[in-house]
Amino acid sequence: MNLGVLGTYLPTLARYVAVMVGIAVIMLIAYRVQRFLGVKQEAATGRTLIMPWLIGFLIFNVFTIGSSLYLSFTEYNLFRAPEWVGFDNFSEIFDLQIAPLESAAQRSSDALPPRYDEVQRVTLGDGGFVIGARMEEFWRSLRLTLLYAVLTVPLGIVASLGVALLLNQKVRLLGFWRVLYYMPAILPSIATILLWRWIFSGSGLLNGLFAPFYRAAGIAAPSWLTNPDLVLIVFVVFSLWGVFGANSVILLAGLKGIPQELYEAADIDGADEWAKFRNVTLPMLSPSLFYNLVTSTIAALQVFEAAAFIDIPDSVGTFLNWLIYQEAFNFRNMGMASAMAWIMLLLILALTALVFRSSSAWVFYQGAKDAN
Amino acid sequence: MKRVLFLFLVAILLTVTISAGAQEPVTITISTWAGVDEAAELQVLIDEINAEVTGYQIVHQPIPGDYFPTVQTQLAGGTGADLYWLDQNQMAIKSEGVLMPLTECLADSEPETAGDVNDYYPGILAVNEYEGDVYGLPWIAQPVVLYYNRAIFDAADVAYPEAGWTWDDFMAMGMELTQDTDADGEIDQWGFTNNGWPPPFIFVWQAGGEAISADFTTSPIDSPEFVEGFEFYLSTAYNPELSPSREVISEQGFGEMFKAGSIAMFMGGAADDLDRVDGMDVGVIHVPANPTTGDITTFAWNASTVVNGNTANPEEACDALVQITEAIQGWKIVSPRISQATVEHLVESEPRKEPNAEAIIAAAGDMRALPIFGNYSRWDATFWSEFWGPLLNNETDLSVAELAAEVRVDLEETLSD
Repeated sequence: MNLGVLGTYLPTLARYVAVMVGIAVIMLIAYRVQRFLGVKQEAATGRTLIMPWLIGFLIFNVFTIGSSLYLSFTEYNLFRAPEWVGFDNFSEIFDLQIAPLESAAQRSSDALPPRYDEVQRVTLGDGGFVIGARMEEFWRSLRLTLLYAVLTVPLGIVASLGVALLLNQKVRLLGFWRVLYYMPAILPSIATILLWRWIFSGSGLLNGLFAPFYRAAGIAAPSWLTNPDLVLIVFVVFSLWGVFGANSVILLAGLKGIPQELYEAADIDGADEWAKFRNVTLPMLSPSLFYNLVTSTIAALQVFEAAAFIDIPDSVGTFLNWLIYQEAFNFRNMGMASAMAWIMLLLILALTALVFRSSSAWVFYQGAKDAN
Repeated sequence: MKRVLFLFLVAILLTVTISAGAQEPVTITISTWAGVDEAAELQVLIDEINAEVTGYQIVHQPIPGDYFPTVQTQLAGGTGADLYWLDQNQMAIKSEGVLMPLTECLADSEPETAGDVNDYYPGILAVNEYEGDVYGLPWIAQPVVLYYNRAIFDAADVAYPEAGWTWDDFMAMGMELTQDTDADGEIDQWGFTNNGWPPPFIFVWQAGGEAISADFTTSPIDSPEFVEGFEFYLSTAYNPELSPSREVISEQGFGEMFKAGSIAMFMGGAADDLDRVDGMDVGVIHVPANPTTGDITTFAWNASTVVNGNTANPEEACDALVQITEAIQGWKIVSPRISQATVEHLVESEPRKEPNAEAIIAAAGDMRALPIFGNYSRWDATFWSEFWGPLLNNETDLSVAELAAEVRVDLEETLSD
């Protein structure tokens, strides 16, 4: 019997059904075993119902994370069995050289040993030094990613706080404004990236708008996306688009949760608006700001879509997440890509831990104060 | 109730499994990067094959987005289609043991059919060869040719390029055609355009240079021949006397500028639609020759169909490969087969190319493919980021020869990886 296209998909469907039935059978057995061992019905039912998710978590999260850790110690090109190389991948990444510059004009390649390329050049008077690496693209990308995070996280938080404060005002059509400001968060990220790319392209909206100014000033239109000195600014502007979404909503919810009595008490004490903002709003909002700081930092270090759709000049590097993808799927260097991914994970963990450690100094928890 | 539900599920599973298992003939799947229109055209060919063959039926499973990562993952996982399209760069996986060697199954192929490996241009077939075996059948080899706008030549009273023309002729013509046609003090018509395309290898090969040695052990980009070719290539890019700046190209579009009539000469693939712009009289000729060697070698983009090494039906897959390759070679231009290097075959495949068919067929005889090897993507990335890109974008103070000597070390490291 020739089923045409169905002939390809029916076996797949059969496998799906088989997996479904298999999981159902396992759940049934697990439930029976628990009951046989004397577990109460409610507990046995709960554990059984969570089992499909747990199986998925173990297979698709725990197993893959563990595999990635293992692969980071191997040389693996997808098609051949992974070959254990110990710490070679990490050694190659951290293989850095610092070389003095005899003069400010000396070329880095003349100062550095062969196979090392410039990551950073520091000029001091008529000399200085140059930092080179075997995996210079990793360090350039790390530098770009950290710079991006350092610029976008504070800017984003300040901007989203501003938007939340505006949306917390008693103005007409408040619901409309709130919907309007949340719109960017629900637009597909790829579509907005492509839009921004067009805005900043050589013949895009921005240069088109400023064309008369450029002509009058006798300057060439900036190449926003290809000039190494400008491209980071462009990405920072992109990032601000996101602040009107989820971050502002969280801060707005935080603002709504501040008891009015505190402002009334401040009024009685004669506090002006700035004093109320500094001594009431900010401390009461600090848990929300803390949450935004943590999530924004993690998100800034994991930029992917923008880098995938906008070419960045090689001399600047690229975003770390995109570099990892390139290393894995363009060059089929899964071992090195996994090592980079783990370094990125440790970096994110360290920065997050730092933020958590600092929280005791500036985050105000009502419950914690009361307990003291 | 529980029993009934259980029996119902089992019945569905059995029905589906039996109906799937009972199908005859076998299904041979092919994955391609084809989008909606291209997939529809391919489906017509597949339907014709399916109507004629008895042992199998071909089913198209297009992957229009994120194609190669998906294909690599499928091959690594031992799943996926029986046949795949791979372009020249993707053919680098031929050395990884995931594709089916074809030499044996193609051994009995009739002469001058898609299965006859001796009927392919050797340089194009080489992309598919590894250690004496063939891993793919090419279905397209698109040589770069030069399109020229006759109206611009006529208006400037410049003779059209003729067979045997050289780099010197090309530069002279291009500079003469670069003009301020409306006398507003700004150039608005250029002789040529180069924004990184065409590939520099055309001029390098013509000068006798090589980017990678034949045995894949060296990357002699600092040879005088390579440097000569690359320097000429650079002289055609963003040269105010010949070609538009990157800002102008960015603003007006690369190919669009030729179609808009502001570029006199454009190097493009033989299948490009540059010679069928409404109201524009466009000629095609081979790329200009190196003035010393007289060589007119040109670059050819090429793609092939391969068989998944894990296919459950190798015999049927091999036969399907030959059938579908034969069909595609009558659809796409230019066919990579020597016996099909005729004006008649080209026009039959693409009637709109008739006026320039002769020039395209002539160029096919001089085409050459990239030297693809397992780590080519790394070599290519290094070549671009450390050599080609910095020189093209004026990001280095070094001469071509100086930078070539420096980058050669890094390129050769990718050969030894």
